[in-house]
Amino acid sequence: MPASKRRIPVSPPGMADPHQLFDDTSSAQSRGFGAQRGPGGLGYPAAAASPQEAFLADPVSNMAMAYGSSLAAQGKELVDKNIDRFIPVTKLKYYFAVDTMYVGKKLGLLFFPYLHQDWEVQYQQDTPVAPRFDINAPDLYIPAMAFITYILVAGLALGTQDRFSPDLLGLQASSALAWLTLEVLAILLSLYLLTVNTDLTTIDLVAFLGYKYVGMIGGVLMGLLFGKVGYYLVLGWCCVSIFVFMIRTLRLKILAEAAAQGVPVRGARNQLRMYLTMAVAAAQPLLMYWLTFHLVR
Amino acid sequence: MAFTLYSLLQAALLCVNAIAVLHEERFLKNIGWGTDQGIGGFGEEPGIKSQLTNLIRSVRTVMRGKKKNEWNTLKF
Repeated sequence: MPASKRRIPVSPPGMADPHQLFDDTSSAQSRGFGAQRGPGGLGYPAAAASPQEAFLADPVSNMAMAYGSSLAAQGKELVDKNIDRFIPVTKLKYYFAVDTMYVGKKLGLLFFPYLHQDWEVQYQQDTPVAPRFDINAPDLYIPAMAFITYILVAGLALGTQDRFSPDLLGLQASSALAWLTLEVLAILLSLYLLTVNTDLTTIDLVAFLGYKYVGMIGGVLMGLLFGKVGYYLVLGWCCVSIFVFMIRTLRLKILAEAAAQGVPVRGARNQLRMYLTMAVAAAQPLLMYWLTFHLVR
Repeated sequence: MAFTLYSLLQAALLCVNAIAVLHEERFLKNIGWGTDQGIGGFGEEPGIKSQLTNLIRSVRTVMRGKKKNEWNTLKF
């Protein structure tokens, strides 16, 4: 209808375009409305306007809407300014700068780390290169996706055994997260006690510890397909792979000086650090087993 | 299994409380972990024991809040 397309408000309120959200009040129509209202000012037009239109045509509600939207804009600004204090958004973006090739190669590395030679992370003017360009860099995409997939696969496994109920999913997620938090805290405490000067940040640590979920998924899926034998075989393989992966990665971070020279570790200080690396790496298979054995019957 | 985030929070709270209530004079001094016992040594890097002592002292200081001599005159 040409009248509504031209947005000339000549039509009476009852026939207004229903898709138009706001009335065009910069015209004779509003003056018409104003004349129709009594001196009270807040009364609704006597004409049988649709309640929505009457509400929106009311200048007070216009003001209220403008005020509300400015409040929302202020709130958004406040959040944007302060979000960096609680969640380091810019640092997190680095960990999600991945692409398909990186993910594929990293998954291959997690399952078969034995032939990889160079585990050093490349740097570019003092900042580590984004994971997209260096396969040794830690990322948070794989651990996050693997964690979610683990929860879903756990639900699948429970479902095939008729043991499923929705709150069990939450329990699995909570349990896995609690173990992850405990690991991170324990490792941070050990790093502090042993005064290890390392550039291993907390998020790096979360990323490394999250890689075990990939092996867990593999084990549970094989267990669903081939029963306990398949589960133990695949889990055993993934456990050994994660063990080697963690040792080779953490050695460069925790035992930086000794690893750089390539000499076997000696001296009390280096020995303690080696024990720490071994303990962290050994905890991975244990947790992988603990978090999955009850899913495969 | 029920090892949830909430139980982790409970455990952490109890641990921090345990550290906060260790008595300085009756207990820590007797096992040689007092705050004034041999922290020095700027030269060599601190060993595990001094790191632990520092950690316990830091936790207690953070949990204290008010200064120690104000504890007797708490006003509500």
